[in-house]
Amino acid sequence: MRYDGARLAGLPDAPAGVSRPRFDGPFFVLSMLLLTAGVVMVLSASYPRAWYDPGHVTGGNAAYYFVRQFIFAVLGVGAMLLASRIPMPLYRRAAFPFLVLTLVLLMLVPLVGVKANGSRRWLGVGGLTLQPSELAKLAVILSFSALICRYRGRMRSFRCGILPFAGILGAIMGLLVLEPHFSASVIILAIGAVMLFLGGVRIVWFAGAFGAAAGGITLLLTLFPYASSRLRSWRDPFADSSSQGYQIVQSLYTIGSGGLSGLGLGGSRQKFLYLPEEHNDFIFSVVCEELGFIGAALILCLFALLILRGFWIAFHCRDRFSFLVVGGVTSLLGIQVFLNVAVVTNLVPCTGISLPLFSYGGTALLIQLFELGIVLSASRDIPAH
Amino acid sequence: MTNKTDSKTPVARQMLRRGAVLAAVFGVGTLALLLARLYHIQITDHAFYEELAISQQLRQAPGTVRRGVIYDCNGNILAASASVDNVYLSPAEIDANGEDRELIARELARILDLDYAGVLEKTARRGSWYVTVARKIEADKAAEIRAFKTEKGISGVRLETDSKRYYPNGRLACHLLGFVGTDNYGLEGIEARYDKALAGTAGKSLRATNAYGGEMLLRRYGEYRPGLDGCDLVTTIDASIQYYVEKHLRQAVRDYDALNGAGAIAMDVNTGAVLAMASLGDYDPNDFLAVSEEARAVIDAAATEEEAAALLAAAQARQWRNKALSDTYEPGSTFKIITLSMALEEGKTGLGDSFYCGGSTNVTGRTSPIRCWKTEGHGSQTLTQAVQHSCNVAFVNIGQRVGAERFYDYCEAFGFLKLSDDPDASLTARTGIDLAGESGSIWWSRNTFCSPRNLSQLAAASFGQTFTITPLQLITAVSACVNGGRLMEPYVVQRLIEPDGSIRFEHAPKLVRRVISESTSRTVRGILEQVVGDPKDGTGRNAAVPGYRIGGKTGTSEKVSLEARTGQKEYIVSFIGFAPADDPKIALLVFLDTPSDQSGIYISGGQMAAPVVGRMLADILPYLGVEPAPEEKSGTKMPGCLGLDLPEAAERLEAAGLRYRTRGSGSTVTDQLPEAGTEIAPGTEIILYFDADISPELETVPELTGMSLNEARDTLSYYGLYLNALSSISDPEKQSVSAQSIPAGTALSHGSVVEVTLIDSGEELLGRY
Repeated sequence: MRYDGARLAGLPDAPAGVSRPRFDGPFFVLSMLLLTAGVVMVLSASYPRAWYDPGHVTGGNAAYYFVRQFIFAVLGVGAMLLASRIPMPLYRRAAFPFLVLTLVLLMLVPLVGVKANGSRRWLGVGGLTLQPSELAKLAVILSFSALICRYRGRMRSFRCGILPFAGILGAIMGLLVLEPHFSASVIILAIGAVMLFLGGVRIVWFAGAFGAAAGGITLLLTLFPYASSRLRSWRDPFADSSSQGYQIVQSLYTIGSGGLSGLGLGGSRQKFLYLPEEHNDFIFSVVCEELGFIGAALILCLFALLILRGFWIAFHCRDRFSFLVVGGVTSLLGIQVFLNVAVVTNLVPCTGISLPLFSYGGTALLIQLFELGIVLSASRDIPAH
Repeated sequence: MTNKTDSKTPVARQMLRRGAVLAAVFGVGTLALLLARLYHIQITDHAFYEELAISQQLRQAPGTVRRGVIYDCNGNILAASASVDNVYLSPAEIDANGEDRELIARELARILDLDYAGVLEKTARRGSWYVTVARKIEADKAAEIRAFKTEKGISGVRLETDSKRYYPNGRLACHLLGFVGTDNYGLEGIEARYDKALAGTAGKSLRATNAYGGEMLLRRYGEYRPGLDGCDLVTTIDASIQYYVEKHLRQAVRDYDALNGAGAIAMDVNTGAVLAMASLGDYDPNDFLAVSEEARAVIDAAATEEEAAALLAAAQARQWRNKALSDTYEPGSTFKIITLSMALEEGKTGLGDSFYCGGSTNVTGRTSPIRCWKTEGHGSQTLTQAVQHSCNVAFVNIGQRVGAERFYDYCEAFGFLKLSDDPDASLTARTGIDLAGESGSIWWSRNTFCSPRNLSQLAAASFGQTFTITPLQLITAVSACVNGGRLMEPYVVQRLIEPDGSIRFEHAPKLVRRVISESTSRTVRGILEQVVGDPKDGTGRNAAVPGYRIGGKTGTSEKVSLEARTGQKEYIVSFIGFAPADDPKIALLVFLDTPSDQSGIYISGGQMAAPVVGRMLADILPYLGVEPAPEEKSGTKMPGCLGLDLPEAAERLEAAGLRYRTRGSGSTVTDQLPEAGTEIAPGTEIILYFDADISPELETVPELTGMSLNEARDTLSYYGLYLNALSSISDPEKQSVSAQSIPAGTALSHGSVVEVTLIDSGEELLGRY
């Protein structure tokens, strides 16, 4: 007996003719639970900043961020369902054109991108902004999956197993350095590594890659002074709690204030402009403050279940491409959740990594839901038990 | 190009294995890691972070409580607090609301009399929510600012309640009271010593705010913990006595150009209660940072800013110093009271003793003999005369009879020093008065003092030299000598009253110890009364007040250490008196630091300090209700002559012992100078007017200091002014004017009376004793 996610969601059955098997219910339900929780948390976390409007953005409209996030969530669910209907071979065909499109957009960013906080990471189109680096993550997953399928059996060689992938990653990294966008680079490198790992590249290469990564990080730290000062405030955030360490110290106050059961939904005090980025990168801190350890653990468990269900789908995929894409998307989700929570709890140095399905940001949410939709699409190919 | 076989390729086992690894990592491993981290922050360290978070989220505004009132012993207010406002800017709000910075700066600068550019600069500190503009502004200015805020709808200018200390009597008792700093902490005197009781417990109002200090939306959290008002404090100070003491002390500093100021203490001899304590130069506690004009002139003349700042700080420290409490000095001859008391108590001398003074005496351990102030010597004298003469030679003798060991024992008993287990330690002591800033005395170690090979310390100490004490220690000890022998602990605070009216603390006079017997004390009183009351032998006769029995002792001490250092001779002249001599109520010590002989007055306690004490007692004793003994008045009452013809008027004036001259050519007296009933000196020439059109004119008061009584009287009458003497006139030929009630140069109408203080400057009194 299987749950039918589409019917659960109250969606009409697919029109006859293009009908495909139903997608995976648990994965969809878990996604929707997390998305709902995320949108509610955006409302709770963002209204003080929206109301006080210190940055002269919202005009004092307390629901400003919530309304936008809600609209994108609805659009995003649409995108997810759309993605779930696109057959997997189509993704494989689109992988390289999509990669090329992403690279073009990444090249545009340094030229016509919107600048904020010293970095140029956004492309603005009629009031909407888009981070091409978000697209790049999906592009890496799709193109790597396609390539791994093409080089089936030759993945253990350097020429096939490393060189083309390194070329793609190198091109993307080079463009991200121009922005610069350190956190996106880390995530893309990580997801690239995950893809190669799944694709069967020899473990020894990873050892070499880790060495290279260590060297690369050292190089990055020397190239970008802002990154090395972040490293210092990571080790002892209280040493400069009013400047460099401010954000992480405030995040720790926020999380620690929650205690076991939290201050209650909507009860955060730190969101009253103490905690910066409280509705995007640091939204999980507000979750911890309001819902306590119990609530935060519940959210993390939901993410873990979603990830495990994603891998469950991957394991049941009938073909390599689907396996790789589902494994990649799920791993990307895992990487982002881990890095985001690790950052807000000061487990790793502070850098801007959003929490999937929670952090405020319309286009990113749209893309994330689309990616989950791809997983759903793959799940349709799984034969019923 | 879709490769059908490719897309249908089954997943390799290795891929599945690796997928399982990733599933374990992201589904279980990282989850466990993050949960452990969250547990650590949220459960283990919860209290730590919560406290830090709450402390930044809650703003504490100190609730204002009333600082206690300070009263004198009769319930007159000496210090009280009033509510005032502080003005501050919130540039962040000015910015956020787009308020007109220039308008704000212009208005605030105008209302508060501030520099426009300075205020404008403060309005431009973007992002700040609290920039102080002015503190403790008056109510009318605060009202003006409120009106401006309302009218223009300005929210970036804020007012907050604060309190300001007022001293309604200005400088009166400033050193006793002290003052309160901008943060409402008591900084000197009673304000400092009793700060905790006066301040009360500040209330707290807690409120949850956002990071910028604004209200926390929907999470209104406020708590108000009411504070406790401060205690009211009743002092032993009598504002009237304090006023008399300060008035005459101020006059004395002017008259004798006392370079380093002066001090005075009035004490209730029976309880140790301080009735008045004054120190000059002084300051206005309402504006305690302001320095005197002379000091300001010196500061303004400074070459550099640092120098000016240092000078200002030094001038402020000088004016805040309570000389009566913080200065130590060699008391000189006033200390002979102590030597006398111990010798009488020990039975080493008595009223029947006689002493011979040949002008000097040799002392073991000294190369040169100790000289009496009177070089030719006092000859043979009784004990009473030795005290009256303030004879050093006699007192060296008396001191040696007591002996060094007993001398030190008595000095400890009188509270001048505290003996130590270490015989080589230099000794010190304090009275323990409840005021901040009391200095301790400095004495030789017991071994040095009691060395049998060197008696010079004992010899000099017998007449009050080679050690230093505070004026407060001296008056406390002398009070014991004349009150029946009881050493009382001096104090200034009588009681503390809680805001609800209950008494928190009531001072009971504290007997430190009995030092001498009742009968010895009676003898001491009798001898000291002769120092003031005997117009022939008494060196303190200038302190006499007609009709009152006053005892006392003069003192003139050279600043020996200063002379050793600079070769400059500087003196502190002093007089300690008490009255009434038969049943003392009040003791009064006056000391003048470094007076000048430019005034024509010989520098000595008898010439300078004694008359000041006399003038003070002349005001204080009637105020205290002490009945004067009936005595013939020195002044004459001006008879009324209006409407009389010349022969009738002349007869009356002759009967009163007055001379006259006439103005105008009418037949009856139309006016007279001075008015009927005015007290004037006998023999004065008065004016009779015989023409209603001639009216009294303005005259400039001449300088009288140094003149004899008759010279002064005639000089004044030449100007159509009249003289009345404040002191008893025993021998008009020997007396001279030491002070006048109206300074020279003042314009006065004809016929006004100028009161003068006469001192006896007979030749036998010219000396340092």
